Amino acid sequence: MTTTTTGTRTAARVVDAVKVYGAGDTAVRALDGVSVTFPAARFTAVMGPSGSGKSTLLHCAAGLDTLTRGAAWIGATELGGLDDRRLTLLRRDRVGFVFQAYNLVPTLTVAENITLPLDLAGDGGDPEWIDTLIDVVGLRDRLRHRPAELSGGQRQRVAVARAFAGRPDVVFADEPTGNLDSRSGEEVLGLLGNAVRQTGRTVVMVTHDPVAAAHADEVVFLADGRLVDRMEVPTADAVLDRMKAFEVPS
Amino acid sequence: MNTSLRLSVSSLRAHKRRFAGTFLAVFLGVAFLAGTLVMGDTLRASFDSMFGNAAAGTDAVVRSADAITTPGESQGVRQPVAADLVRTVERVPGVAAAAPDIQGAGQLVAADGEPIGGQGPPTVAGNWIADPALNPYRLAQGRAPRKSGEVVVNRGTAERGGLDIGDTTVLRTPDPVEVTIVGLATFGGEDGMAQVTFTGMTRADAEKYLTARAGEAASILVRAGPGVSQDELVDRLTPALPEGVEAVTGRQSAEENNEMISGQFLGIFTLFLLVFSGVALLVATFSIHNTFAIVVAQRTRENALLRALGASRRQVTAATLVEAGVVAVTASAAGLAGGIGIAAGLQALFPAIGFPFPEGALVIGAVSLLLPLAVGVVVCLGSALLPAVRAGRTAPLAALRETAVDTSGASRTRAVAGTGLAALAVAVTLTGVLVSPSVWPAGTGAVLALVSFVVLGPVACSTAVRVLGGPLDRLRGVTGSLARRNALRSPKRTAATASALMIGVAVVALFTVFGASLKATMDQTVARSFAGDVAVSAPSYGAGGSGLSPRLADAVAELPEVDTAVGLGRGVAEVDGEGRALTVTDPVALRRTFDLGEVEGSLAALGTDGIAVTEQEADRLGVGPGDTTRLTFTDGEERTFTVRAVYGQSELAGDYVITRAAWAPHRTQDADTLVAVTFADGVDGETGKAAVQAVADDYGNPEVQTRDEYAQSSAAGIDMMLTLVYALLALAVLIALLGIANTLTLAIHERTRELGLLRAVGQTRSQLRAMVRWESVLVAAFGTAGGLALGAFLGWVLVEASDGASDSAFAFAMPPVQLAVVALVGLAAGVLAGLRPARRAARLDVLRAVATR
Repeated sequence: MTTTTTGTRTAARVVDAVKVYGAGDTAVRALDGVSVTFPAARFTAVMGPSGSGKSTLLHCAAGLDTLTRGAAWIGATELGGLDDRRLTLLRRDRVGFVFQAYNLVPTLTVAENITLPLDLAGDGGDPEWIDTLIDVVGLRDRLRHRPAELSGGQRQRVAVARAFAGRPDVVFADEPTGNLDSRSGEEVLGLLGNAVRQTGRTVVMVTHDPVAAAHADEVVFLADGRLVDRMEVPTADAVLDRMKAFEVPS
Repeated sequence: MNTSLRLSVSSLRAHKRRFAGTFLAVFLGVAFLAGTLVMGDTLRASFDSMFGNAAAGTDAVVRSADAITTPGESQGVRQPVAADLVRTVERVPGVAAAAPDIQGAGQLVAADGEPIGGQGPPTVAGNWIADPALNPYRLAQGRAPRKSGEVVVNRGTAERGGLDIGDTTVLRTPDPVEVTIVGLATFGGEDGMAQVTFTGMTRADAEKYLTARAGEAASILVRAGPGVSQDELVDRLTPALPEGVEAVTGRQSAEENNEMISGQFLGIFTLFLLVFSGVALLVATFSIHNTFAIVVAQRTRENALLRALGASRRQVTAATLVEAGVVAVTASAAGLAGGIGIAAGLQALFPAIGFPFPEGALVIGAVSLLLPLAVGVVVCLGSALLPAVRAGRTAPLAALRETAVDTSGASRTRAVAGTGLAALAVAVTLTGVLVSPSVWPAGTGAVLALVSFVVLGPVACSTAVRVLGGPLDRLRGVTGSLARRNALRSPKRTAATASALMIGVAVVALFTVFGASLKATMDQTVARSFAGDVAVSAPSYGAGGSGLSPRLADAVAELPEVDTAVGLGRGVAEVDGEGRALTVTDPVALRRTFDLGEVEGSLAALGTDGIAVTEQEADRLGVGPGDTTRLTFTDGEERTFTVRAVYGQSELAGDYVITRAAWAPHRTQDADTLVAVTFADGVDGETGKAAVQAVADDYGNPEVQTRDEYAQSSAAGIDMMLTLVYALLALAVLIALLGIANTLTLAIHERTRELGLLRAVGQTRSQLRAMVRWESVLVAAFGTAGGLALGAFLGWVLVEASDGASDSAFAFAMPPVQLAVVALVGLAAGVLAGLRPARRAARLDVLRAVATR
């Protein structure tokens, strides 16, 4: 499979990625030789049925989990050669995350949650950028609130702002709309899309929702731990059709 | 109930780790309690058999009928009987043999010149009784003493002193007597009667050195002929005895001796240890309660589901209680076994470090077996009761809700109730301290203060953690800030965790302050009332030691460097019907070396029928100069004494002073407790001290100390006591630490996802560990600060109440260095408690933590 990336930089990629959970009879091959490149300044969606290995791919590409075989790269850095500390620093400085369950720190205010990765690095970040971010996600009047005082959509907007706060090379989003109603989901997807198109950020999103996938520039399809297809300029209907094909026993 | 049981067991199995802390807390508390009780039982039994052995062949003891006991003393003073009473006794039908038992204090000097023993157990010298039935000691080697200067020594003492048959050494009676060891003795097959040192001399030597007058004996030991019971023997002896002399059975005498040791010394010793196991268990209660409260809170959803599915309140409550019960029973049983192990270990350890612990099998009474079990189960179940009831009250709907926010900390009712309690505590305490000094209201106030601290804990927690953790934000950035907020998350939980440590630290601080105050009091007493340059004393505790030779003072006084040397002897008499200690001395010289305050009347004119009394005692007796009072001595003689002087300060000089001449007719073995020396003009301290030391060398080498050294050595016992107290409290602090560690572990379990997120967005392992550790330190700091404040306050109360309630003045002292050390130890403890939870948190799998489910 060739990856035609129109000559742009690569934000993240995995090469011949194999991930096996467990051992012996109970071993599960979650990834079975996947190679995929996530170009910079693009919004890529990863789709596939349950158990296709899409979340595992995201975790391994983001340095949250390690591959059994193969290599994962963030920019020019090969993740396999990093110890826990370097991996942590890499996540802190070059990767952003948005999770399905928001995952905000309940003791911190909205503002503190947004700057958390920067604070952990002990670095003030770029105040103007943070300021812009706060306006973009529309939480200026909520900065002093705690996560518990926010709605689900608001919480996920905080998580999005946090993911972009340190201007990471790439933001990984794992089912970011999974817990949201469709209106809030649209808002969050809009934010992710705008970040890519207006400010040149890179987003890789795992989703099982064709409508969400339609917000991406490109969709890659996974099934049984293998990359099976890619789709440029997706629409919800096209994605849905492609997905239905998986469910038909072939 | 069946379902409850099944639920409990499966829950216990699933969460073994959570209860490890609870198990340990109960285990440690119960083990301490059981260890104390078993040790007490064993000691009591060994003393029983020891005194039984000592009197095994003695069927009756003939002794003087009256004993005078002064306050604060366990052993009464009994006047000797005439030794030739033996001949009268021997003629009584049914008597097979009788021997005078002459006994006194006699301390042997070891081969290296240091005295042997004297730190607790008695140092006894007496006549070597030839009749083996009447003598509890047996010759193991050598022979009995035949001529003056020959002695038999028990084998243990000889070994301790590096002495053997043929060696010559000094026996302080307290006059130094040169003795040659001709025999080694055993006691009941052992090397001695525990750590008691025994020196047997010829009867003539014993009479010469150990009694005030020749022909006296402490008592007469009698052996019955065949077929005569002990009671019969006593019945036959009684009519033959002169007035003031009685006969008691050997059994009764042994029991009395035993009672003296078991009842007094052992009673206090075990009570002391029991108090500390009580503190440990109290601390454990907090830790256990906290664990159950957290576990129940964490299980809200599960319990709600059970309720929704139709479990009754009672079933849910019972499930939690059964869980607590299982932990309680296993931990208490293990604790009991552990306690018996501790007692066995101590039994092996104590003799090795020179502490008297009689040999023999461990003795475990029924109480020692059942009480720790019962206490452990009650403490554990009691601690779990409230959380269990709360579990039962879980609304079925809670299964569908997110866990409620904990607002308990700032509850208004709690703040008001706590403040009210605190105010009441202060009011009651101050009444006890200032208005009508007495220990009871002060004690009640102290308990109330403790309760109010516990009630106010959650309220104070927020403020305290904010203040204590203030510098953390700047110091450790977001890590510190997160730690601080985590500590503030559930004020009730933080406060309960800290309360356990607070109680431990408060007791430590209390003893630290009280100990420092006692030392300050001692310093102040010496500084105020001792006007001399050096003091000569033979330091000893309890029944050990033999005091100073009464001739030492005179010998020192003859030195050209010395202006005045005055010896203080000790006598006892009943004054107005109550046993009192008398100071036997030269009153005129006394005034030159001690500051007696204002003196009304004349100390010079005491003579043989005059007495000097402190103002306080004079007021109590309602007498003044010129009035008379009646003194009854141990020999039964009653004399009228005229109060010739009333002096202001007692302290070192004692409350009653009589002359040596007045005491002479009633004296027992002569000994001074202290010789106070004032140098002549122009003699510098070093020269004078060296000269006095040179003389003292000839009198058994007692210690010569300057004023400061004397004050310090008087306070040495306090340091020893404090060390022991710290060692005992270490357990309570350890339990508190387990509590902190346990709470943290549970909290980390609760925050798994949050911690995972932090790691995902870039918190390094070391930052995560630091965060958990700092939280632990903050909780510990809160507990330590509260404990120090409470302990210092209680220390002040104790000192002031004692000051008001007793006749001697107490000085209050805050030892800043020691308290700072306590604070540091508290903080270090926090770091320690946080170590394991921090490590566990850092090991968290990031992925599992952020996983959706």
